[in-house]
Amino acid sequence: MGLKGHAAIVGSAQYKPEKYATAPRMFHLEQVADLAAQALRDAGLQASDLDGLVINGPQFHEASVFVPAMAAEYLGLQLNFAEVVDLGGCTSVGMVWRAAAAIELGLCQAVLCVLPARMAPLGPDEDPSWMARAMRFGGHSTAFGAPEAEFDLPYGHMGQNTGYAMIAQRYAAQYGYDPRALAKIAVDQRSNAQANPQAMFFGQPLTVEQVLASRKVADPLHVLEIVMPVAGGAALIIASKELAARARKRPAFITGFGEHLAFKSPSYAQDMLRTPIGPASRRAFDMAGLKPADVDAAQIYDCYTITALLTLEDAGFCGKGEGMAFVREHDLTWRGDFPMNTHGGQLSFGQAGSAGGMSQVIEAVTQIAGAAGERQLERCDSVYVSGTGGVMSEQGALILQGA
Amino acid sequence: MSNNKPMPVATEISAPFWEGLKARRLLIQQCAACDQWLFYPRRHCPACLGHDLAWREVSGQASLYSFTVARIPTLPDFIDEMPQKLAVVELAEGVRINTTLVGLDEAQIRIGMPLQPVFAQVDAKGGRLLRFTGLDQDAIGFETMPDAQQAPPLAVEQSDRQQVDCKDEAALQALVSERFSEWSNSLLVDQALIDAFAQLSGDDYWIHTDPDRARRSSPFGGTIAHGALVQVLQSRLKLALGFEITGFSTQINYGSDRLRFPAPVPAGSRIHARARVKAVEVRERGTQLTLEINTHVVGQERPSVINDLVILYQR
Repeated sequence: MGLKGHAAIVGSAQYKPEKYATAPRMFHLEQVADLAAQALRDAGLQASDLDGLVINGPQFHEASVFVPAMAAEYLGLQLNFAEVVDLGGCTSVGMVWRAAAAIELGLCQAVLCVLPARMAPLGPDEDPSWMARAMRFGGHSTAFGAPEAEFDLPYGHMGQNTGYAMIAQRYAAQYGYDPRALAKIAVDQRSNAQANPQAMFFGQPLTVEQVLASRKVADPLHVLEIVMPVAGGAALIIASKELAARARKRPAFITGFGEHLAFKSPSYAQDMLRTPIGPASRRAFDMAGLKPADVDAAQIYDCYTITALLTLEDAGFCGKGEGMAFVREHDLTWRGDFPMNTHGGQLSFGQAGSAGGMSQVIEAVTQIAGAAGERQLERCDSVYVSGTGGVMSEQGALILQGA
Repeated sequence: MSNNKPMPVATEISAPFWEGLKARRLLIQQCAACDQWLFYPRRHCPACLGHDLAWREVSGQASLYSFTVARIPTLPDFIDEMPQKLAVVELAEGVRINTTLVGLDEAQIRIGMPLQPVFAQVDAKGGRLLRFTGLDQDAIGFETMPDAQQAPPLAVEQSDRQQVDCKDEAALQALVSERFSEWSNSLLVDQALIDAFAQLSGDDYWIHTDPDRARRSSPFGGTIAHGALVQVLQSRLKLALGFEITGFSTQINYGSDRLRFPAPVPAGSRIHARARVKAVEVRERGTQLTLEINTHVVGQERPSVINDLVILYQR
């Protein structure tokens, strides 16, 4: 069962993260075309090679339905495979394996996976407060009959911060809590960002003391353990092995994946501390025939430090409850013995909406291609990548390998 | 109670739950086919998709599954509940409920602690939410709307105040301090008060007076009080200054050296204030005292009004 490893990521493009206020405003269709052209150049392929498209449906500015058809028309593509992925922060990982599966099924030969995440220009009747309004309820539905509108919002259960905070509090009650170990995740990743001029926090090193002295948002989370939302966007080109042979850079073959979801609010998880990344990662490793210890780097979705900690445990890099000791005992930087989020992670790179997870995929591809510059790992043939949407509600894992 | 907090809208499916709360009863569903208890209400059992579900009254016996103390409001409307004690509670039947804890200090909250339900009134029509508190707490006492409760007593009683003569410059200068006083009493700024001020002042801009439009269109997600209203409400806040100026014939509000409105006051917030003596000048025409008065929404670090108020005491 699973992938044979006959599809590879052969090209990528990513806008440098920027503050929303100063980032260029572009229509999403325009961003899609721009990112596609950049990613094709990176791959050494032509637009005419593309016959598959995976795109976001939610948060697409110009349409909420018929998005793939509208994008195909705008870009002038002839598609044999079109897909919308709605998995929040897990969207990037979800896009990659869907594209690979479609290629292995023989549906298509080259797929554009794209997530525009810069703001669109304001219309004549729109004012800047639309964004504040759009973000008022975040990812929470206020529709009549939506369970969260009826049973969460009236109590103030809103947004991701408090959900992750409650997971962390339960973790603390069950396994103990070392705030310095959690802070070290952010600090090691910030150290990685110092070798990545594209990162939002390039040129701004960080200490454990600074993390712990930063403002508490929801106990036990400090503001420096939480990602910063930024404008951005990213695209990947995923191609058959035949096309991959023409790629300009070393391709990253998709040899394993897994996906798991069972709830939106972690309050309804069977066990809040056994996260869906466990079954997703086991499937991915099994498919690739690898063990966690076999990978050269881990690019772990890190919307919060606690997300990364639980992923280290549940993906099997260490035992349950041993994550804090693991973080204390390992150097998570690109120079270290467990290179993790070598681009800085989203905590230091910035989180461009659902394209944030692309930063982890693209870093894995860049390291495998040997194109990571100063932070290039000496050896990087196999990389684990995770994606997390909602409050650890929708999670996925990838194994990417250089040939 | 804020006018802008999201309120539950019962559906045909969930109505028995909300009606139960109004009658101070906790009703949840159980599947006839597999005995699974479930929450939130549904038409189908999430264990077997059976559709024969029965409403049953349960004891409310519960324990704390997890919680967090939110230091930044999750929505602006919850500013009056700061810090928010958000919780996931597990009923004895095994179902979990997203809720809030009431009547407990942060230090009293422990994961696993036993809890009891509080049928908390949230509107004048008898609507209630299901909150929880500790077993040794007065759950019925927490049922009433917090706005109906008495404001806390003043930190400093009037009789304890130091008397300072307005001609005694040394004693007056000794009052100047970097430290703020304790908090004053608190005051509810509700929509009725905002509407009355709008009528009085003529400033009836929708951002203050139209809750529906403000909910849809305001960056604050609901109506907010006029800055000028919050400024003048200082008269209804008894500052815990700890001194009283004596020996003058009249005192005059001479204006403000600085007036800023750094943060909004959403309708339904409670405000309180604290102050410090910033400067004292004894002049020919009288004694001029500059009070820096900061008015905050209760629980908020950032002041809503900063007012360097100059008071002239004439001998």
